[in-house]
Amino acid sequence: MVGSSLLASGVAFEMVSRSDSKVKAEIADWQDGYVFSIGVLPDGPAVSFMKRGDQICYLGKGYKNPQLRFLFKSLDSALLVLTGQIGSHIASAQHRTIVHGNLAEAMQVSRVMNIVQTYLYPAFVLKKTMKRPAKLTSAQLLLKAWVIATLPVGMLANIGK
Amino acid sequence: MIPEYYQFFCPVKILSGLRALGNLPYEMDLLGAHRALIVTDKGVVGAGLIRHVLRALEGSQSELGAIFDKTPPDSSMEVVNEVAQLFTKEGCDCFVAVGGGSCMDTAKCANMMVTEGAYDLAKLQGTERVKKRMKPFIAVPTTAGTGSEVSLAAVIHDETTKVKMGFASYRMLTDVAILDPKMTLTMPPKITAATGMDALTHAIEAYYCLQKNPVSDSFAIAAIKLIMDNLIRCIENGKDETARLAMANAALLAGISFSNSMCGVVHALAHACGGVSRIPHGVATGVLLPWGMENNLDKAGGTIAELAPLLGASTSGSPMQQAKAAIEAVRGLVTRLRDLCEFPTTLNEAGVPENKLGDIAKAALNDATITFNPEEVTYEDALAILRKAFG
Repeated sequence: MVGSSLLASGVAFEMVSRSDSKVKAEIADWQDGYVFSIGVLPDGPAVSFMKRGDQICYLGKGYKNPQLRFLFKSLDSALLVLTGQIGSHIASAQHRTIVHGNLAEAMQVSRVMNIVQTYLYPAFVLKKTMKRPAKLTSAQLLLKAWVIATLPVGMLANIGK
Repeated sequence: MIPEYYQFFCPVKILSGLRALGNLPYEMDLLGAHRALIVTDKGVVGAGLIRHVLRALEGSQSELGAIFDKTPPDSSMEVVNEVAQLFTKEGCDCFVAVGGGSCMDTAKCANMMVTEGAYDLAKLQGTERVKKRMKPFIAVPTTAGTGSEVSLAAVIHDETTKVKMGFASYRMLTDVAILDPKMTLTMPPKITAATGMDALTHAIEAYYCLQKNPVSDSFAIAAIKLIMDNLIRCIENGKDETARLAMANAALLAGISFSNSMCGVVHALAHACGGVSRIPHGVATGVLLPWGMENNLDKAGGTIAELAPLLGASTSGSPMQQAKAAIEAVRGLVTRLRDLCEFPTTLNEAGVPENKLGDIAKAALNDATITFNPEEVTYEDALAILRKAFG
């Protein structure tokens, strides 16, 4: 379940970063080739991402020599966040996550994660998991519909990565 | 209200009171340590405070390994490396940090490097990176504000990359905190005011931010009471040992509280003000605190209202009216400090250039403490708070 959720997040990161201007603005100053991972302790699943050009690319499962690791302390903690039961800020407040790497960079990754989540979850979930969910424009709503509709295909295409 | 989940941890032994410092060798012995590296700064040495520490070691089996007195106000990776090397070279077996937040943070990070056998501090950035038990560590604060003697965090600058590196680990907590009133008697009024406002901000933000819990609340409430009763006394009479000890306790209690509940937008903006404009952290927190509280009225107005009686504000009217009264009480305190010791009441008076507000807002968004602020803070929100505080 957590592995599938991480895969879904991985694919969504890539899809959203291709089109969302806020993600592009957020990652504009990141070094090209910057790698970060989201994983579960102690030996749970993990996924890695790389900034290439003005996009985030999904590298696949596992830790691919990341500069930053965003880690859930347990599978239960990961499940709470990845299934939209609690927000990532609440997970931090409840000591459910830790960061290995620069904390300022972790804040930037966290903001991108929040943007990606606005495309993955319905409004009632976002209202519960975010302090102030972003209001999506018509174009962003269309993108959200496209992300949700094509996510399973994207997951299938990336399942072996 | 009980949070659906929380954690709390503070294993620090606290020694507070007259001649508490005299117990330093005994505490070292209990920790199995006999050769101390004192980490301090020129100001502490110049004020003659190290003499008290050396006197405490006289005639005991504990000895001084070395004194490192070159800690700058914003410590760097180079300084931490130097301290770690000195510790090993002089055969020391415990750290004794004597000073304010920078000395404590330097000792914490040097201890981390020695313990982990690390050569690159940058590789230990983040949270919970230390796996081994650290070397014995005793803190003797000479200011009453940072709470670093009981906090799990440290901030160090990388001068090469100009990046501020953050570290947080339960392992980084000190073993013993010694609060001796004679160690804070020489603090000038303006620094007393700034450090006191830092402590008040720790306590207030810890009380209404997202990680609040019943245990950290109790520490925050005790801290606020002590600060409201003693900060002005310390400024009016710096030699008042009772008030000084109360403020040292307040800073420690606020430190325990925020180390478990974390801070919010005030600290994020204050850290950024320090980074961009080099204004003292305590001054920034004092100026920004009422504006940061106001920013959270919608999400945490009821909680802020609970602070009204502690801050000497009116407890009549709706919770929102009481919350606003609590904020006005903080403003009143800052104005009183301005009258007593020229404490700045605006960022403009503090020396922040108006054209730097945008840079400060941008930097604040990357400060981890902003995560724990109840209200969402975007760049525009941060800039709006700064503009109000600019005056």
